[in-house]
Amino acid sequence: MASAVLPRQKTRFLPAIDQRAAPNNNKLLHKSRLKEKSELPDPDFPENEKSQTTTITEDDIARFQKPVHQNLCVSMLREGFHRSFEEFFSLLQRWKASRLVAGEDSALWQQRPLEEQPHKLETLKELLTRAESAERSNQYVEVYENYLALAKFFSEPDDRWLQHHFYKLSLLSARKVKMDSGKREAEANAHIGQLYLEQGDLELAQEHYEMFHHLAVGRSWQDESGCPLLSRACEGLWRVYTLQAQRHLQNKDYSPAIQILTKAYDMAKQAGDKKIEGEAAYRVALAYQSLGDHRTAKQFLNTFVEISTALEDTASVGRAYKAIAQSLESEGKLNETIQYLQKYAEISEEINQDQGLQDACMCLGSIQSSRGEYVSACEYFIRAYAIACDLGSVPLLQKAQVSLGITRAHSMLRTYSSLVANNEPQSLLTLIRWKETREEFHKPPCACVTHTYHTHTHKTSLSQW
Amino acid sequence: MSATINPLSNPKGEKKLCELCQKPAYLQCSKCRVAFYCDVVHQQADWNSIHERVCELLIPVRASTPFRSLQADRDHHRVQAQKRLEQLLELSHTEAKRQVLEGKYVEALPAGQLSLRCAMDLYGPDAVELVPAYLLLAEANVGSGSLTKAEGYLSQAEWTVMKTPGCSLTILHQLHRNLGHLYTALGNYESALLHFGNDVYYASEEFGLNTVETAGGYFLMAEVFSKQEKLDIANSLYSQVASTWHAHLSKLVECYNQIGNQRAQYFDEAQLAEVNHMLNVMLEAQEQDAKSHPALSHSLGQSLLLCHSLAMRWFLCNNHDKVLEFGRKAMEFSLQCEQKSLTESIHSLIQQAEKHYNAQQTHIIHH
Repeated sequence: MASAVLPRQKTRFLPAIDQRAAPNNNKLLHKSRLKEKSELPDPDFPENEKSQTTTITEDDIARFQKPVHQNLCVSMLREGFHRSFEEFFSLLQRWKASRLVAGEDSALWQQRPLEEQPHKLETLKELLTRAESAERSNQYVEVYENYLALAKFFSEPDDRWLQHHFYKLSLLSARKVKMDSGKREAEANAHIGQLYLEQGDLELAQEHYEMFHHLAVGRSWQDESGCPLLSRACEGLWRVYTLQAQRHLQNKDYSPAIQILTKAYDMAKQAGDKKIEGEAAYRVALAYQSLGDHRTAKQFLNTFVEISTALEDTASVGRAYKAIAQSLESEGKLNETIQYLQKYAEISEEINQDQGLQDACMCLGSIQSSRGEYVSACEYFIRAYAIACDLGSVPLLQKAQVSLGITRAHSMLRTYSSLVANNEPQSLLTLIRWKETREEFHKPPCACVTHTYHTHTHKTSLSQW
Repeated sequence: MSATINPLSNPKGEKKLCELCQKPAYLQCSKCRVAFYCDVVHQQADWNSIHERVCELLIPVRASTPFRSLQADRDHHRVQAQKRLEQLLELSHTEAKRQVLEGKYVEALPAGQLSLRCAMDLYGPDAVELVPAYLLLAEANVGSGSLTKAEGYLSQAEWTVMKTPGCSLTILHQLHRNLGHLYTALGNYESALLHFGNDVYYASEEFGLNTVETAGGYFLMAEVFSKQEKLDIANSLYSQVASTWHAHLSKLVECYNQIGNQRAQYFDEAQLAEVNHMLNVMLEAQEQDAKSHPALSHSLGQSLLLCHSLAMRWFLCNNHDKVLEFGRKAMEFSLQCEQKSLTESIHSLIQQAEKHYNAQQTHIIHH
């Protein structure tokens, strides 16, 4: 039985002729792992050098036979880094599992699997083992840095989940660092917060940014580029709050939105960035407007105007004027409204912002027409129409056309109704003539008619597009 | 029981070889007349190990078959023989396995050889089905100290596995574990670690990361590391193993409590012996560690886990004395290290054990 397995000793019929060679030869045949071991490694001839020159080691064989990730796993285990192995292995498994769940039609299925990207796996192994050995000697700063390096390494969009994972690990290890009064923890929170913000998970982002802010308050920490951490925290929180408020505004929950926006405004003030502060004030004002509290809205808008003027940000000033005008209009102060709108128009013209100018003209037109000033209203609308034509924007153009038409109709309505009410033959004749020609009653301006005609053709041509 | 035969009087072309060593045989089992031995020692060894159980089963397998004239008859007979061989293989394999687990390595060898022979007859000389038999033989040989033979068997197994692509992960895992054992016995710790590393890898692929199978590999690695004087790595591995087993045992105890006292078998013998060995070794290591670095809260936690696991292990096989012993120890540790999460479960364990214990005592008094 054993003969099938073990080399059977060869017995010679005749005694060996060369007595010296025979045992030697036998030894060579019997060269086994036992033999190798029994030859004690002598200092003159180190074992690894011997293996390099003469034989192929098991590692070399494994490199050809087995996949990269298995070799990396085994080498980690050999060196005793079992936690790294666990991390490494579970990450690979997780990827596979999520791929299976996503199914064959998903984008995940098309991605290149991690196993086929040896440089990534090698970096992963390298940094994980470094982190583990640092952890074993309780040097958590180093652990944190290694995890952070890993997170930064996996910056491709496909590797988002890895980045996320390692930011979380870096946070955990940062919490164990005692000597830096929480700076690293703050940084880790900032990273995670940002990641959640990018993913649109606002609640979690808020949690982490608030932690970051809480840790950074009262400290003079700076990041690598010299930007103080506190202001970064405030900026992040401002962004989170603003996005949260937008959600509330979409659901028309104005009062919670205002609360959150006020918080955002506070954060923006703390951040020390005037531009953000102005923006925040503007948003608060808009929210108050939607709630109908125009006084408060105007206060915030004035702050916005001040800040924007100081920053020489004319476009923002224009926006502010428009918002103020809206508030004033809602309060019924039409004269002031017109003033502000005119300012808005002027500013827009100054900085060549046609969109703004068109907007201003439309607003002015509608206010004038609501006051019964049809002539000037028409002028504004015509201007707005011309600008819209230049811009090539169909919805704006159509809106201007319709408004102009309505205003024209309104302007004719008075004469028409008086003519109908008059009930005299003269006026009846006028009406009939008008019906025939469809021209204006008193002084028929040819320009206008051609204009309407022109718009009509324009419209048909547009609808043909 | 044994009859002498003379090799010279064998029919021409027929060689009678010893069951164990393949040398020309001088003895014959007088009961079955199909097993031959070179001397009494080998016959005795085979009898003790496996022959007693398979003596009669061997007759139809080995005896020469009479000629049958019908094809259907021949086919039927072949199928029958196949079945008998399979049965024999299974019997000898389980027998050998049991003996290895009980630590009777030398006794396991003849049984292992028989199982290998059956497997060869069944599947041919280099089928992957032979690997379990090779592994078993290797394990027995490592245990009994004949490392050269073990190496031979393992090489054969390795070669077979290499030739078979898509070999099952369980076999690979066992192969590498055995290779690791061999190299540990040889004192070649680097290679041992390499193979244990592969063992852990395959086990994790097959069974998952935090399973007892993987923990077994970790434990063996830890032993090698502690032999290499790398105690920090060994300790970290030990704590991993302890927590895995603790989780596993806790789950089993929970299961046991839910289902009730049905005499369900939660372990096979092998696992039982294995877990006992591992936990005791770890506890010992922990105690030594505690002596050299007294009063580390971390090591207290580890001892607590170990004692609790041991108590649960004994609880599962209804040894209530031991449960009480280890349960009390665990209680002590849990009070020392102020970790309250486990106190409750330890307490309930002790209570149940006491109940059983008292019931037993009254039972004895009644008699």
